[in-house]
Amino acid sequence: MKMGYEKRKSMYGYGFIALWFVGALVFFMIPLVQSFLYSFQDIRPDTGGMVGEWVGLDKYNYAFNVDPNYRQYLVTVLQTTLWKTPLILVFSLFVAVILNQKFKGRTFARAVFFLPVIIATGPVFNIINGNMASTGNSDASQFSTMFSTDLLGELMEFLGIYGISEGVQTTIDTIADNIFGIVWNAGIQILMFLSALQNIPVSAKEAAQIEGATAWEYFWKITLPNVSPMILTCFIFTIIDSFTDPNNVVMGRISDLQMDWKYGEASAMAWIYFSIVLVAIGIVTLILNKFIYYEVD
Amino acid sequence: MEKVLKTPLASPKPDEEVGNGMSKREAQKIRMQNMNKAEIAYMRRSRLFAVVWPIFRFLILLGLCFIIVYPLIYMLSCAFRAPEDMSDPTVMWIPRHFTLSVIKDTMSVMNFWDTLGTTIFLNVGCSLVQVLSCAVAGYGFARFKFKGRGLLFGIVILMILVPTQVISIPQYMLFRYFGPFNLINNPLCMYLPAAMGCGLKSGLMIFIFRQFFKGLPKELEDAAYLDGCGPFKTFVKVMVPNAKSSFLTVFLFSIVWYWNDFYVSSTFFTKNQTIALMLKNLSTLLSQALFNNADVSPREQIVWMEAGCLLAIAPILIMYIFLQKHFTEGIERSGLVG
Repeated sequence: MKMGYEKRKSMYGYGFIALWFVGALVFFMIPLVQSFLYSFQDIRPDTGGMVGEWVGLDKYNYAFNVDPNYRQYLVTVLQTTLWKTPLILVFSLFVAVILNQKFKGRTFARAVFFLPVIIATGPVFNIINGNMASTGNSDASQFSTMFSTDLLGELMEFLGIYGISEGVQTTIDTIADNIFGIVWNAGIQILMFLSALQNIPVSAKEAAQIEGATAWEYFWKITLPNVSPMILTCFIFTIIDSFTDPNNVVMGRISDLQMDWKYGEASAMAWIYFSIVLVAIGIVTLILNKFIYYEVD
Repeated sequence: MEKVLKTPLASPKPDEEVGNGMSKREAQKIRMQNMNKAEIAYMRRSRLFAVVWPIFRFLILLGLCFIIVYPLIYMLSCAFRAPEDMSDPTVMWIPRHFTLSVIKDTMSVMNFWDTLGTTIFLNVGCSLVQVLSCAVAGYGFARFKFKGRGLLFGIVILMILVPTQVISIPQYMLFRYFGPFNLINNPLCMYLPAAMGCGLKSGLMIFIFRQFFKGLPKELEDAAYLDGCGPFKTFVKVMVPNAKSSFLTVFLFSIVWYWNDFYVSSTFFTKNQTIALMLKNLSTLLSQALFNNADVSPREQIVWMEAGCLLAIAPILIMYIFLQKHFTEGIERSGLVG
């Protein structure tokens, strides 16, 4: 019997994803469902697998009301993500725009900016961070001590924004203190924006030049709409990256509980955390989708 | 001055073509006489911008590059100095007592060559099979229509979203009682998921490959089909060679992620020694080996810790320096665009 061309092609499609599908079922979907079930059980390891006793929402109650640190950790992580994500996005877009221009030494600059992609994901980053903190070298003050003046303060005084308001002051200080973390976490986002920038049609650029657009106008009218789909991708990536970072405190707490064989509690916490991430991503996607500009072919 | 007056005013052709012997500046001046105010303002602004911006750009890039390279310089500077230089306030970057002993100590504490061997065995192998399996799956999603494709791709997205920590316990049990076998401490428990497209960050890789293959022209395959190639042969003979740069990029990502991973390897191995794991425990290992388990402040350990960092990233760094050109180029064509 001979199948139609379309049907045969769809069979080949299944053929291509078959291996992945079996893998995803065994190594991903089943464990995922199991961990969801664990979160409702008093679980302990036994020969041949886990035995559990159904306890309903007890573990969730434990996570929220009994565990001394969980709620506080949750708030900390959420806060950090909340202010760090936009900063990383703005910064990486800015750097990508610069790296997209033609200038001498561009290859070198790009190589340096992609360096964090290579190094920043591992424990190396922790050690660098920790070590520099213990020598008092982790933040902007390090540069000041190197030149033995309060450079940041002087710069702000020069710009006339020193001491305008407590809020502005703290914000700028926070950014300056965390510039290390931001630069080092922006590697992949810079890459993504760069590839989006390179897909901006040449015709748009030419039209803008003929109309006499300044670089500033060009950025807002051409660059931003064209990379807006990528902004969403980067946003989601940054959020996931920050939430699933093994170094953040919630992840640390979950791992600690797993080490203590408290699987039920750990699973419940992981699922609470995971659903918050999902909701956050959902909200962001909904909001951003209104502003995204899709090129209509 | 007379010569300028003789030349025709504001020629529409570029000066090189007319060949009137004016300097660029003079030609500009003459052209500006025929412009209205707005045009002149625009030109002034863009010329000012063209002069000032490169300087700013240079300063910005210099500053940011410094922030990125700073830890590396610091590592290099620390790793080759004697411990007593750490508390010497006159030593900023260049060590006074240059020594290799710190590096040697760290290497022996980390059991460096054995660890490197294990890491490479796990790392490169897993990365290779992972890239292949993800490419095949990504191609399937990109080029074939079949029932439930949207739903299945939803699983891929879910794989990107769900952190490993959520599913690590059931996975542990799965490997502990894998049929009749106990796969804990067996390299298979890293190789198997990788080979089936479910390794570290596999979801992201399938996604990248799908985007990339979607971007390739369909005519490539149609020609191959007409010549009587089956889909698998087409994939191997036509698509893979076209996706070289994409393969390289994803392979590099994969290597880096496996290299830096300590969570998965510490979950599924009880006595495994990978570089990332060693580095994570380096502080403890150091105090055991060098300080007789005495409680030492992190400050005293800095030189050894930095040396450890340097050793840990050196292989990847060297690889990056050699492949850097392909890497930065490959990304632009890798289809990361969503």
